[in-house]
Amino acid sequence: MVEGIQRALSIAGTRIVDGIANFLPGALVLLLLLTASLIVAVIVRYAVFRALTGLDFDRRAEELGVSVAEWTPSRSASKLVASVTYWIILLIGLMLGFAALDAALPSRFATSVLEYLPHLVAAITIFVLGGLIARFLARAVLIEAVNMGIRSARLLSLAVKWVVLMVAAAMALDHIGIGRTALLLAFGIAFGGIVLATALAVGLGAKDMVSRSLERQMREPSPGDKLDHV
Amino acid sequence: MTSTGSSSSVATETRSASVDIVVGVTSYNDAATVGAVVAAVRDGLARHFAGAASRVVLADCGSSDGSPARARDSLRGTAEILEVPSPPTTDRLEMPYHRMPGKARALRGILATAQSLDARACVVLDAGIETVTPQWVHWLIDPVLTHGFDLVAPLYRRHPYEGALTKGIVYPMFRALYGVRLRQPITGEFACSSRLLGHFLDENVWDRDGAHAGIDLWLASSAASGDFRIGEAALGVRHHHAHADETLDLGTLVTQVIGSLFADLENRVERWQRVRSSVAVQPFGELATGNSLQPVSVDPEKLIESYRLGYRELRDIWTWVLPPRTILDLRRLMNGPGASFRLDDSLWATIVYDFALGYRLRVIAREHLLRSLVPLYLAWLASFIVEIRDRGEEDVEQRLERLCAAFEEQKPYLISKWRWPERVRT
Repeated sequence: MVEGIQRALSIAGTRIVDGIANFLPGALVLLLLLTASLIVAVIVRYAVFRALTGLDFDRRAEELGVSVAEWTPSRSASKLVASVTYWIILLIGLMLGFAALDAALPSRFATSVLEYLPHLVAAITIFVLGGLIARFLARAVLIEAVNMGIRSARLLSLAVKWVVLMVAAAMALDHIGIGRTALLLAFGIAFGGIVLATALAVGLGAKDMVSRSLERQMREPSPGDKLDHV
Repeated sequence: MTSTGSSSSVATETRSASVDIVVGVTSYNDAATVGAVVAAVRDGLARHFAGAASRVVLADCGSSDGSPARARDSLRGTAEILEVPSPPTTDRLEMPYHRMPGKARALRGILATAQSLDARACVVLDAGIETVTPQWVHWLIDPVLTHGFDLVAPLYRRHPYEGALTKGIVYPMFRALYGVRLRQPITGEFACSSRLLGHFLDENVWDRDGAHAGIDLWLASSAASGDFRIGEAALGVRHHHAHADETLDLGTLVTQVIGSLFADLENRVERWQRVRSSVAVQPFGELATGNSLQPVSVDPEKLIESYRLGYRELRDIWTWVLPPRTILDLRRLMNGPGASFRLDDSLWATIVYDFALGYRLRVIAREHLLRSLVPLYLAWLASFIVEIRDRGEEDVEQRLERLCAAFEEQKPYLISKWRWPERVRT
């Protein structure tokens, strides 16, 4: 019986030692990868920040209408991009480390995250582009509406901005597969609802005002349009 | 030699004879007026330049109303008209303010034809003008042939409110930039010498972006930037045959005209930064006086209201272009009463210069920038009207002179910010 206990203990000890022996290289590789990714991330963050500062990225981003002041306390688009790059590299390092560790759950998670990454990048790109287009169109509508003498110019501009942003958000979320069906339904209902509500409001509640406004637009040019300016 | 736009018939003529005078007529759906214009040209040449060999060249921009046939008919039996073929153009996508799509190519065709005919003087007229007289031909050509001038631009008699974009921005800025007091830098009519037309044809303006709208101004600035003698012929009243369906909105007009002016700055920077003052140009012709001008009614209150709406909604956009102190001045202007509405000349000059700098630096999309200038321009127009209404022509001239002086005084501001653009919003 004692022999049995000794054998069991020996087997358990061997298993533990084997386990540690098997785990150690993976852990070392994980540590190594984390350290390497940390060094790479720091270097890349510095390089990206310097490059963007050199390109006057903050000012250009503001010109394009990408205001990051609300997103980051640093109030700098360059710092934001550099930080995002830093964390992405660290995350990739961590995922690779888990894969090297050969831990089943984290490894599967890492693989699925890495597979998901291109979709995420595409979705972010769609959303950022949508934001740029929304701001551009909103500004164009605002200026044109003011030049036409429309008092609700700001409202029109905001409506255009949010419609474009909604479309961009729906496209981005659809791309990463979050609530695809529910999202499409919600978007369809919301968009259709807005159009229907506007049509009803104009058709029933404000038809006289719209008719007067259209009549005025057709009959009277905007102030200054009657002159030969050149 | 550049010969773009010349037809084979022109080439045949070139070999046969050279001429003293070429009169080019540009047309686009001007069947109602082109006959009278060509007849006035014929009579003017016969009456004032009977001893000179001359040719009439028609550059039609693709009329669909039979304008070329009307032009041919009006010369039938007396002379033959040379025709520059209509080149393909994409200008019809956005009608230029002068209502002549493909005008740059048409003008180039006329000048190339004049050069190939070895003409001593070339005159260009717009076939849409209803008020062309034989005397116009004399007043435009005579300074070139008799007095050795290189460019003769027209000076029209207009209602004080008319041509406000030219009076308020184009003329003062052109004068401050190039040092030439040319009252009508943007015009479809002018006369030039053989030396200047060669210079025009060598200029890199014909295929530049925006040439469909900016060519008239760019030719004027090309002449003003070179060593050319420039004169001005008072032609009386100019009334263009109206194309009611092609009237542009003010935003598009400002975008085309002021965009052309700002675009030209980048191409002639070495010239205009050296110019420090301005000189008058030699006047010719006679400005008719009396009450022959059509009355124009503009309500400055509506213009002021447009400005106020613009200030409320576009102030955020203006802060990209204008320094904070200008925004403060604009706020004071917004809160002031309409009867004493005044936009200071120096403030207006710096606003225009800041927009030119913003255009150069692309602080926002250029079209947005130019269109956002409209409420400010309406503010200037309102201020101008409030000041000059019920005043005589002499007073209006003095008022414009003060405005031009302000543009010249503020020019160092433009030069300084052009050289050190980081100061644009300070």
